[in-house]
Amino acid sequence: MNNVKKKKNPMTAFFEAIGRFIKEFGQAVKDGDSGVKASLLLMGAGYWKRGQKLKGVLVTLLEIAVILYNVFIGFPYIGKLGHLGTVQQEMIYNPTTMKNEVNNYDNSLLCLLFGVISLVFLIVAVALWMVNIRTTYKLQKRAEAGKHINTFKEDCRELLNDKFHFTLLSLPVLGIIIFNVLPLIVMICVAFTNYDQNHMPPAKLFTWVGLANFKSLFTTSMTVTFGYTFRRILVWTLIWAVFATVTTYVGGILLSLLINSKLTRFKKMWRTLFVTSIAVPQFVTLLLIRNFFASNGIVNTFLAHAGITGFLKHLGWISTNYVPFLTNPTWAKVTIIMINIWVGVPYLMLIATGVLMNIPEELKESARIDGANKFQIFKSITMPYMLFITGPYLVTQFTANINNFNVIYLLTQDVYTTTNQKLAASQGKEIDLLVTWLYRLTSEQYNYKMAAVIGICVFIVCAIITLFAFNFLIKGDKEDTFK
Amino acid sequence: MSKKKVMSTIAVHVLLAVLAFIWILPIIWLAVTSFSGYDGMNTSRFFPETWSLKNYTRILFHPDTVAQFPAWFKNTLIIAIFTCIISSCFVLMVSYAMSCMRFKGRKAMMNIAVMLQLFPGFLSMIAIYFILKSINLTNSHVGMIFVYSGAAGLGYLVAKGFFDTIPTSLREAAYLEGASEARTFFTIVLPLSKPIVVYTVISSFLVPWTDFVFAKIILNSGISSDWTVAIGLYNMLKKQLLPSYFSRFCAGGMLVAIPIGILFIIMQKFYVEGITGGSVKG
Repeated sequence: MNNVKKKKNPMTAFFEAIGRFIKEFGQAVKDGDSGVKASLLLMGAGYWKRGQKLKGVLVTLLEIAVILYNVFIGFPYIGKLGHLGTVQQEMIYNPTTMKNEVNNYDNSLLCLLFGVISLVFLIVAVALWMVNIRTTYKLQKRAEAGKHINTFKEDCRELLNDKFHFTLLSLPVLGIIIFNVLPLIVMICVAFTNYDQNHMPPAKLFTWVGLANFKSLFTTSMTVTFGYTFRRILVWTLIWAVFATVTTYVGGILLSLLINSKLTRFKKMWRTLFVTSIAVPQFVTLLLIRNFFASNGIVNTFLAHAGITGFLKHLGWISTNYVPFLTNPTWAKVTIIMINIWVGVPYLMLIATGVLMNIPEELKESARIDGANKFQIFKSITMPYMLFITGPYLVTQFTANINNFNVIYLLTQDVYTTTNQKLAASQGKEIDLLVTWLYRLTSEQYNYKMAAVIGICVFIVCAIITLFAFNFLIKGDKEDTFK
Repeated sequence: MSKKKVMSTIAVHVLLAVLAFIWILPIIWLAVTSFSGYDGMNTSRFFPETWSLKNYTRILFHPDTVAQFPAWFKNTLIIAIFTCIISSCFVLMVSYAMSCMRFKGRKAMMNIAVMLQLFPGFLSMIAIYFILKSINLTNSHVGMIFVYSGAAGLGYLVAKGFFDTIPTSLREAAYLEGASEARTFFTIVLPLSKPIVVYTVISSFLVPWTDFVFAKIILNSGISSDWTVAIGLYNMLKKQLLPSYFSRFCAGGMLVAIPIGILFIIMQKFYVEGITGGSVKG
């Protein structure tokens, strides 16, 4: 909850920090002695001057490696980042081998990928170079003040003590940068290119197209139906997220109240029964349930025997000889939300149980003495307490539901087909969420550019909701109420 | 009064029984169908007409081109073990740094982590696929391990919440005794955090067993023996395969569900503690 309290413009703070950093760098260059100035060229120089030989050698070796990388791999790719390649793949007759050979073509995807990686790498290298100057300058100050200068051994020991966070964080952060930040930057870039089925490397090139993809996300015309599909899917995504979050939340609390009621015997057994249903991996249970509710599935057989199918048909709710649980748009939406209750309630039950057990007894006791009845206690103590504790969880749950791939995909893939031509033209379905639509665009149509645009939209939607929720719903001042 | 109490006790139990029945029904169906003598899906009866163990013997000892359960299980196990080791270390390392240490840029890093998680994980996975493909790591164990554990550090919040509840005085006492930060981490904080360590280890072990989406993107060779359990089993339910593989799917599902389910049930005890403990005592 730490990040809630101080929401005082992290952006300005960030730029201020950068400004401060550059100022310090300038100061170091200006006031530095010969060692610091030499470090501008040879990064280890400043350390040598202060007797930190090993550190100096290591830093210089690193510098050489970085320079070599950039000269031979980095810069050529960064150079191609501007146009993403110009030479298309062709078969050219080679007179010496007397065969047709593939020319030395550009692969736009690799240009983009390694261009971005090299660029990020270069920025990091420059930042490190600046940090290095600043450090050597600090070292100079220490030497001038006659303070002790660490030996290499002491530096290493520092990494286990005051700078332990550096040791702890470097590998995980590197992992996050390589497997999360860099790919995200690449995909955000793809949103501004024309990378799709007709521009697939290595055979074809793709290039920058500016905001064209964002424009087509909001256009609906005879040929482009993305605008229509996007609107439909966005609305359903939000409806789904609200229903999925609220139903499982309320259901989970009710269930945990029921299980933890004073009247209930064998509490543990009941809890385990419900937990068993989520202990089985989702891809097993959801695939099973999808066949459970299939048009010719077992539920439909029972319903037909019981005469319910006939009754529904009589009412005009269905026009088929079976209940189209997962094949008709409206039925499918209701079924999916119902099944999601099945999936989600046990989780919430577990969490609610934990929270309910933690409610300070004194609070309830004093309310009871004041003559509050059970419902009043629930309304004015249990529920606000629940909301306070699980508030942030509720928000993350909401955004997780916006991105809930498993439930929708496993239940409807290969089962649900849309009859809406406009949706089908842009690979969407009535029951698709933005994420499943994104997936379908990439896996079925290789339409990476639109997938990237949709991914950015998902981010924007989630960011707005999270910011809104944390700023208005979960106010910081509530923190003291329960303490 | 007491009669009313008896009535409501009965009502509560009947209601719970009905609900539990609904929740457990698909699992029972999975279990009974896995012992069915009929290969396809029985659409007219809940319980199979003939009982048999042949689904288990076939899926375990007679793999064919479609069902290669032993290979899938082995793949998933290898990936899960390495993912578990790397992710758990990453998560605990980040959590400790974020919870117990104060340094420049800590807040900023936490804000960035929140922001990164607002992007659909799927989006970065597309680019990760391209990156892995360019270094020939798609369809390999190493690639999958990277995918699952590379960015694991982002999931530090639960463990951080737990570390937050460990009294600062304990650590301060250790510093006074002259213990280094690393020593404090290993000898004071970790031993006190058994629940959250168990939770972290089990939950990261479970990821490869339950993930379906990422594996489907990275393991796209179409060669059955490369797959993980999730994709393999999913593939068995393709329309043209379902009539001959449905009950074998159930047997495979049971074989995964039992070990994974047991681990999950152990883990959930710590799950609640982890996500609520922090904010209550904090």
